[in-house]
Amino acid sequence: MALIDKHPELARYITEQGWFEFLREQTLAMIEIPEMQLQVKTLDSLLKMYGRILDAVENDKPFVSSYYCLAPELYTAMDLPYYMVMQTPFLASSVPYLLTDIDAAEEMGLGNDLCTAIRLSIYYVEANLSPLPTCALNLLYPCDGAPLLHEVIKRNERWRNIPMFACDPPYYSDERSLDYFADEMRKMAKFVETNTGAKLDMDKLKETLEYSNQMFQLWDEYNQLRRNVPSPHGWGIGAPQCFSQAWVYEAGTPQGVEWFKKLVEIAELNVKNGVGPVPEEKIRLFWFDLLPFGWVFEFLPWLEEEWGAVMVMDMFGNFPYTMIDTSSEEEIWRGLAKRNLFDAPMVRQARGVADNFANDIARIVKDFKIDAVVWPGHMGHKDGAATVGIMRETCRDLSVPFVHLGLDLFDKRYSTPDQIKDKMSQFFRAMGLG
Amino acid sequence: MAIFNAYVKKMAEYVEGMRGKGRQVREFDCPGDPGKLLEELPVRVGPEASSGIILRGDTFVELGNPDVGSCAFLLWTDNPSLVGDGKITLIGPNIQESEGASLPFGQVLMVRGAGLGKEEHSALEQNQYIADQIEGYMLKSTSERMWGRVSKDAATKGFDFDTLGKALMAIFKTAVPKVQAMEAIFVTSDKEDVRHLDNIAEQVRKISKDITRETWLARGYDILECTLGWDCNTCSDKPVCDEIREVITVRKKKIRKTKTSSNQ
Repeated sequence: MALIDKHPELARYITEQGWFEFLREQTLAMIEIPEMQLQVKTLDSLLKMYGRILDAVENDKPFVSSYYCLAPELYTAMDLPYYMVMQTPFLASSVPYLLTDIDAAEEMGLGNDLCTAIRLSIYYVEANLSPLPTCALNLLYPCDGAPLLHEVIKRNERWRNIPMFACDPPYYSDERSLDYFADEMRKMAKFVETNTGAKLDMDKLKETLEYSNQMFQLWDEYNQLRRNVPSPHGWGIGAPQCFSQAWVYEAGTPQGVEWFKKLVEIAELNVKNGVGPVPEEKIRLFWFDLLPFGWVFEFLPWLEEEWGAVMVMDMFGNFPYTMIDTSSEEEIWRGLAKRNLFDAPMVRQARGVADNFANDIARIVKDFKIDAVVWPGHMGHKDGAATVGIMRETCRDLSVPFVHLGLDLFDKRYSTPDQIKDKMSQFFRAMGLG
Repeated sequence: MAIFNAYVKKMAEYVEGMRGKGRQVREFDCPGDPGKLLEELPVRVGPEASSGIILRGDTFVELGNPDVGSCAFLLWTDNPSLVGDGKITLIGPNIQESEGASLPFGQVLMVRGAGLGKEEHSALEQNQYIADQIEGYMLKSTSERMWGRVSKDAATKGFDFDTLGKALMAIFKTAVPKVQAMEAIFVTSDKEDVRHLDNIAEQVRKISKDITRETWLARGYDILECTLGWDCNTCSDKPVCDEIREVITVRKKKIRKTKTSSNQ
């Protein structure tokens, strides 16, 4: 009996795997470009993850569904396959069926005022398009949509008997909150052990975190290089790949360390040679959100080609990370709590106090010589929409132009790429940029 | 304003404590005028004085790597008896003595100015992060940490902590004209010595957060409790917030009562 007959929920997953194998083949054709070698390795890591999940289902091995900000190093240390429930929307730039899925989600009755990433993830669960894990780790933060997805998963007839756990996030970022969340992470690890049979060996976790620290240190090194004028890379390589390596596919692995070493080598060379993604870098942008994954190819190349506008930094490339002290078990859990709750992108900004929005902008604008700050105003990021005033005032204090667009990062029909291009052009012209 | 005065005094005690421990403590004096400060420097200082980055291979010494410890904060006052002008204190080895090393790094800046107040707090805080303003000196763009590099070229030209102190004084006095006097303390002696500074830094950060909150409140935004940025008096959710605050008060009282009775 074919795997798909026994496990119909894998149909999409297998199609997706095939799609990324195809993309890998396409990328291989450009392998002489150093950055493309990294793209191939990223796709290898992604495909490895798909392979591990399919192998786990086929051979009845345990695996978990989880999130990037739930200490993925734990699963590496436990040798436990994991996948991100919200993965597909984040890979949207590459999957060809995104708009059809968005329509199907709407037909299912999901409100189109709900964040499209959450809406799609609910749809994939409800339409039986997500692998059924041994246990599920859910999120109660950073936005209101995340617990909604959790509630749906809890009530879905195929998922409701799957053991589930969600860490309770504190609001503030003080020492008391850190200790509290460290305890939550301990409970989470115990839950995974109990429900999968996998054991967490602290020595193995320590080793994994040391690899993870190396990856994050190299990421930091890379980020500093992006401060150079011209920036060694634009939107094409940087935050999404770094993020996927460090937080998802290769969390705490030697392969991940090698990937980052190569990235830094390439970027250093570009800095030494004064090479950037465009012949003449005219505008240095801080895009304060995820990339518009649903229509990335229709917009970001245009910014570079038409305006010489280079996305020097974005929310997921920003580097507020603390290395995890592995000298004791206590410090390990506190370090994991800090990195996953206080430092992780989007969680850092959207959970808790609004101070981080202002502080991140102030530091990045200064360090990265930013000419303009773009708040894309994704329709789902209502938490951020509430702090637009603070961001705007911060930018006024810094005398840096700020624009609030209003779009859907995943659905190009909300505001079309042409509309956004027009807004950006008007903004650049009005501010005398480019 | 006397908000940080107690901590300025604590810093004097800290330096004496380090002397008492037998640490090498050096003091440098420099002129107060920003123009004269810049005349004496072996490297350029000011906007775009550097590219902002120093590559790994070009690094002479690293400062404040998380493995060896880092702590930085800023104190301000209007009291002339607390902060003199142009004094740089170095506890531990200097740049030239540390080729290839990764030194722990503590940096405490103390500024004084008549009329210096909460309005200048944010500008003072931000000026600690020098970006591209000092040739041959880079601060990594990572939050909550002072982590830097000095380039081989700068070291050859004679860059040391005296240079860094003077450069910072020139930057601060130019950017915030109300700053009339400034002292800098640098600690490179030992991870523990830097960690000891954290005890003071923790309190300073709490005060700093309160000032930031107050400043935003004055502009109409509550950054700590409400991300909506609305005026409570016109917000329809006010009764909900009021009720939550009441519940928190009751709960805190209950916890206190439980603790008191369990201690008896």
